[in-house]
Amino acid sequence: MKKLTIFSVTLLLIAAVFAFTVVSPVWKIGDKYNISFSSNEAGGIFKTFKGSISFDEQNLATSNFNVTVDVASINTGNGLQNKHAKSDEWFDAAKYPVIHYVSRKIVKAGNAYQVTGDLEIHGVKKEFTIPFTFKRTGNTATFNGTFNVNRNDFHIGKPGGDVSDIIKVEVAVPVTK
Amino acid sequence: MLKKLLLLGVISGLLAGIASIVYQRVYAASLGEGFTETITVAKILGGSVAGTLIAALGYALLSKVLKSNTEPVFNLLFAILSFVTILAPFAAKLPMTIEAPELFPGLAIPMHLFPAMAWFTLKPLFAKSV
Repeated sequence: MKKLTIFSVTLLLIAAVFAFTVVSPVWKIGDKYNISFSSNEAGGIFKTFKGSISFDEQNLATSNFNVTVDVASINTGNGLQNKHAKSDEWFDAAKYPVIHYVSRKIVKAGNAYQVTGDLEIHGVKKEFTIPFTFKRTGNTATFNGTFNVNRNDFHIGKPGGDVSDIIKVEVAVPVTK
Repeated sequence: MLKKLLLLGVISGLLAGIASIVYQRVYAASLGEGFTETITVAKILGGSVAGTLIAALGYALLSKVLKSNTEPVFNLLFAILSFVTILAPFAAKLPMTIEAPELFPGLAIPMHLFPAMAWFTLKPLFAKSV
């Protein structure tokens, strides 16, 4: 009888915990995403982007991003530049095949949001904050973000030179539930 | 003489254009990418004819200065200039929608040499009148 009571209470507690745990909806990344970068001399896109996105405007505490960009999918529109960008002088795609971002905190910032997390490029991991907007229409939505990355922070290329240190990155990710 | 030179320019340009179009088809069939949206038939024909027409005008101008030495100097200049233009395909910035821009120079570089080849091939046919 005592064992049964303990078992029942445990079961009730587990049920209660799960009942009050709110999980943000998981969004599936659509095919028409755009991950582009630009500077004075270089510009292009990354063609492969994947990961998991859980996001709820009403519950930012449980929302999170864990996404990767395939470095070898870089396309600058020029074959020589592509080869150069993937070489060990720049991204070193053979050694560091992905750019990885994992969120730690998402907060509301006016009409938009800010996600703070760990950005890992070229083997260097740094805390990085990305401002973004989220526009939802029914079961579809789009994340949009524009931010600057200092390539020297991640030891990409040599400081100075023809390509500016600050690279503008634009992200547009359509998602569906 | 200028009329004959311009005729040589147009004909050799058209020949170079046709050779480029054939080459583009073969390239697309063998490598799966012909850049047909970037290098259209109109651009190929227009570019080839424009190149050989400029060559014809250049020849006419050189002949006024160099007289009997025109032919070797012109041929050398045409060959050098054609060779120099192959830098352009290496530097070309293509639309981001193009999957394999590294295949572009292999297609475009021979096209830059076809006008000179066509000119040198057809020039003997105009030798007496030019």
